[in-house]
Amino acid sequence: MFGTVNNYLSGVLRAAEDYDGDNLGTLLSLRDVHVQNHNLYIAQPEKLVERMLKSPLDEVVGSHLKVLYYLAQEPPNYMDAYNHQAASCSAVVKLLQQLKDENWCLPLMYRVCLDLRYLAQACEKHCRGFTPGHILEKAADCMMACFRVCAADGRASEEETKRLGMMNLVNQLFKIYFRINKLHLCKPLIRAIDNCAFKESFPLPEQITYKYFVGRRAMFDSNYRMAVDDLSYAFTNCPDRFTSNKRLILIYLVPVKMLLGYLPRKSLLERYDLLLFHDLAVALKAGNVKKFDEIVHEQELVLIRSGIYLLVEKLKFIVYRNLFKKVFAIRRTHQLDMGDFLSALQFVGVTDVSLDETHCIIANLIYEGKIKGYISHAHNKLVVSKQNPFPPLILT
Amino acid sequence: MENTEYIRGSCERFCPDAEAKMRTQKKLLNFFEYKDGQKHVPGVLVKEFTRSAADAKVPKAKDMRTEHCLTKTIEYLLKDIFLDERKPYHLVYDFIFDRLRSVRREIVIQQYNARQTIRLIEPMIMFMAYSRYRLCEEPIDKFDPKICNQHLQECLNVVLCSYDELDEEGQTTSETKPTIREAERRYFIEALYQIFNLGTPEALVRGLMLPAQVRENENFKLAFNICLNYHQGNIYRVMKGLPKLPHIICAVAGAKLQTIRRLLLEIFTHAYNNKQLTVPAAYLLHLTLLEPQLLNEQCRHYSIAQTPDRKALHFIKSDFKSDVETIRVQRETFIDEKLSRVYLPEVLLLKKLWI
Repeated sequence: MFGTVNNYLSGVLRAAEDYDGDNLGTLLSLRDVHVQNHNLYIAQPEKLVERMLKSPLDEVVGSHLKVLYYLAQEPPNYMDAYNHQAASCSAVVKLLQQLKDENWCLPLMYRVCLDLRYLAQACEKHCRGFTPGHILEKAADCMMACFRVCAADGRASEEETKRLGMMNLVNQLFKIYFRINKLHLCKPLIRAIDNCAFKESFPLPEQITYKYFVGRRAMFDSNYRMAVDDLSYAFTNCPDRFTSNKRLILIYLVPVKMLLGYLPRKSLLERYDLLLFHDLAVALKAGNVKKFDEIVHEQELVLIRSGIYLLVEKLKFIVYRNLFKKVFAIRRTHQLDMGDFLSALQFVGVTDVSLDETHCIIANLIYEGKIKGYISHAHNKLVVSKQNPFPPLILT
Repeated sequence: MENTEYIRGSCERFCPDAEAKMRTQKKLLNFFEYKDGQKHVPGVLVKEFTRSAADAKVPKAKDMRTEHCLTKTIEYLLKDIFLDERKPYHLVYDFIFDRLRSVRREIVIQQYNARQTIRLIEPMIMFMAYSRYRLCEEPIDKFDPKICNQHLQECLNVVLCSYDELDEEGQTTSETKPTIREAERRYFIEALYQIFNLGTPEALVRGLMLPAQVRENENFKLAFNICLNYHQGNIYRVMKGLPKLPHIICAVAGAKLQTIRRLLLEIFTHAYNNKQLTVPAAYLLHLTLLEPQLLNEQCRHYSIAQTPDRKALHFIKSDFKSDVETIRVQRETFIDEKLSRVYLPEVLLLKKLWI
């Protein structure tokens, strides 16, 4: 079923002559069946390839064959495979530069970059002798070279510009930067996309991924409103059949929305197997600080692994707010004794809290605008505003 | 990776002969390198820091020190020179800083493995963390806190990466398991890193991802919880936690105190905002860990009115000067006391960490 190298190379040549980027991408993919063809495992394919293909496509393909060769070793030599994939990627950059006013080869670029990332991940997992994240960072540099060519292609028409490839690359780069915890590197990429005149014309799947990462980044920057907008876009537009992707989006969307005062519906959480948030929401609504802490403690590992632990910890002051709002509802007066708040905290089971700390917690809630009023230290009272003493969280 | 491809130092003296000869001839010796009490007689020389430059030759084995010798150099600097009181401390710091930097350079050139790197760099972290605090009141021409911070952060990063490397190796082979001593040292440095990076999400994320035995260590927990409380906005718990930190880490916290105090005062100007009412000074002294005259200074600086007897403060939101610079870092009595109770060379060399 597998042909000779020459069959393979003429396939590549035909795809290139037909400007068939998709097909070319498949022929250079590490996930395609041709990868299992033993005839293609050649340590030094340069001569063969040069005879059939023009530069720089010969370099792209030659490096690809070397990658296959190193991956076929027992055990697979990921490090050398990665290095040749990186060479292949650099050759793609040359190819892109050569093809002025044409963008049919974008699928090829996507594929080579994607495999580069997979190989970098494999190196990180299986190889030693470098600081963790180093290979992924190097892979990101290779992709940046592609990105620069694409971003600079401003003269071609809207259909033919290579700028259409920007979002796919940005998403790949996001995946790396999030993995190696270097979120600050995302900023220039976001700016590039924002400045793009036709940002609406990127394919929807790419936009969804993009918004997902931009939303997460906004979340880490404590820019919660923006995070909700982006993540909601991703969630609403992501088709229902991609349940696990929708679940991933919800993992961030739900707690950010909770921070802004929206509680999730139980049925939704049930559908996506995220009932953990339901328990949190119940404790949050009730102002049960102790219960909230307990859930966070029990689910610590899950929360940490999902990357939302710090966000959930931020919800704690909202739990305080809800508890104190209940004190206000019971007392029905605008001059509230600080001791009552302390009692409320003790009532829900917080034992290690003092009156001074209660003062400080309320002080912070006032500072953040979550309570309107002032504290009288001399009378040990919180005097709340006659209008809207506990404004809705969305307004704070 | 194997280390054989890199040059290994063979010099057993603090300063290689070639450099010693050259610097003695050209009279380029530092005060601390002359023999005690004698003006022109060379004493113990220590290799100077030089940058790698294009015209410089690749160092030969005899121009670089062995690992044992590097350890001895660090011990000599952080004990003998550190305790030398003939000159003000900022000059002592300059000398030690430079000589430690040259040790760091040799670690890089000789490509030491994670474990060796950790052993050599940890004391440097301690030294810089301590000096950052000790010299915080010096004018900029005598001590530059920014440079010190940069180098401290850099050293911390190197050591943390090395810890991670050992963790990963530990999953495959059991021989790299750290000794109890090494583990203790790591807990201390990890805690120090947390406090040094108070308020940055990156540090918190690292803290959350650490192996269980680090996260369960009492001292690390204390430091990490302070950072977590700061993240949540619970300044009360931050201020209550800080004085419990051990000596050097507490000194690192000292550099953050003014920022935290400012935040606390700003929060209070909103919360106790009232023209008629006052808040007793005693309450604030207790929360801000300040002494009375220093609280007065803070009030003047941020424009918070006080009653004539200075026993109480008027917090008025609109008066607070939010555009002034934060008050400079100062030495704090409670930290000085902590530091005075330990024998510093032993602590800096991480020989005795917890009392």
